[in-house]
Amino acid sequence: MIEFKGVNKWFDKLHVLNQINLMIPKGEVLVICGPSGSGKSTLIRCINKLEPIQKGEIIVNEMSVHKPTTNLTKLRAEIGFIFQQFHLYPHMTALQNIMLAPVNVKKITKVEAEKIARQKLERVGLSEKADSYPAQLSGGQQQRVAIARGLAMSPEIMLFDEPTSALDPEMIGEVLDVMVSLALEGITMCVVTHEMGFAKKVADRVLFMDEGKIIETGKPTDFFDNPKTERAADFISKILTH
Amino acid sequence: MMAFYFSRLVEIFPFFLTGLWMTTKVAFISLITCTLIGFILGMIRASNNVLLKRLVGIYVAFARGTPFVVQIFIVFFIFPEWGLQLEAFPAALLAMAIMGSAFVCEIVASGINSIPKGQWESAASSGLSKMQQLRLVILPQSMKVIVPPLVGQYVLLIKDTSVVSVIGVMELTRVGWVTVVRIPEGLMVFALVGVLYFSISYPLILLSNYLERRMAI
Repeated sequence: MIEFKGVNKWFDKLHVLNQINLMIPKGEVLVICGPSGSGKSTLIRCINKLEPIQKGEIIVNEMSVHKPTTNLTKLRAEIGFIFQQFHLYPHMTALQNIMLAPVNVKKITKVEAEKIARQKLERVGLSEKADSYPAQLSGGQQQRVAIARGLAMSPEIMLFDEPTSALDPEMIGEVLDVMVSLALEGITMCVVTHEMGFAKKVADRVLFMDEGKIIETGKPTDFFDNPKTERAADFISKILTH
Repeated sequence: MMAFYFSRLVEIFPFFLTGLWMTTKVAFISLITCTLIGFILGMIRASNNVLLKRLVGIYVAFARGTPFVVQIFIVFFIFPEWGLQLEAFPAALLAMAIMGSAFVCEIVASGINSIPKGQWESAASSGLSKMQQLRLVILPQSMKVIVPPLVGQYVLLIKDTSVVSVIGVMELTRVGWVTVVRIPEGLMVFALVGVLYFSISYPLILLSNYLERRMAI
């Protein structure tokens, strides 16, 4: 479903992605972790071309992401992206936020879009916040609206870039609960996170990155309990004591 | 003495009203064209197209960096040499459009640039095209930043219409000049000119202040 073939990326001289080869099959829940600056966010931002790459190829649903002729609108419509800082549109209500892409990209009617939007809000447990503006919502609620917004396009893939890192501790749970239920539904997910509980519960595979390279991959229990590399072990001990 | 002043005033007033009407016409048409062209240029200036961005940058630097009166002279006296011969009125409108759109362009571009990159990314990742991102997500948010200085700029543009008197457009300032050589009450003439300008720009100043207060977060 998602395939990285020898992907390399530089920010000026900094080699942020170093010869990445990766295959993510349909329905897999992949957790990506690693120290900050290791390239994990960049890795998933390349999947929907928020970042260009300099070498290699990424293929999503048989489309070569970085080929100039690729229909980016179609590609992105199939991929939901959740940001650390939510990035809801502040001038629109929760409902309008969710309806925007279905109406303007999929060109469905407003009535139909509103129906879907209300369903998705219910899905994330925020039916009563349909008419609230982002500024009136807590961080956890904003992130759940952002997830509902992503789901409204019925994507086959959801990408999460540290979805709980900007949240107060007591709000992390409500967002993770929504993500767990998505994972159990069989949607393909790539999640950049340090939430070990989430990884252990639903991840099919954990991928550990450092300095732009994939250092180690494995089943979550193997990875967290018996890391193969010293760098991974060192990293795990740090997030455990944290 | 007062009675004499007053009777003179009544006598010349209709002439001033025709000047005010011309000023209003030049100002009104210019505000619309400057806004339209300025928004288009501003969007280009805030875009990722390096070549177009540069070109607009040069245009803006020229239009902002040279006196308006010189620009009018170029349009009215030099353009004919290049094959574009214009009457005073259209020449004035063209010069106003060139100068004003550059200022509007800068206001619009800085408004667009004030929106965090995450908003673009969020809109892009949902599949919206570049134009949709701008129209549906970025511009509605930038208007808060754009509108107050834009209305302030309108006030400046209205006052700048007085410069088009130099090529003979019979607007308010020109009317003042023509009158003052025929009657001796120079102070009264230009006081009247000033009051009439003020009557159209002051409401806009109030509007600008009001918008600035209302849109401050």
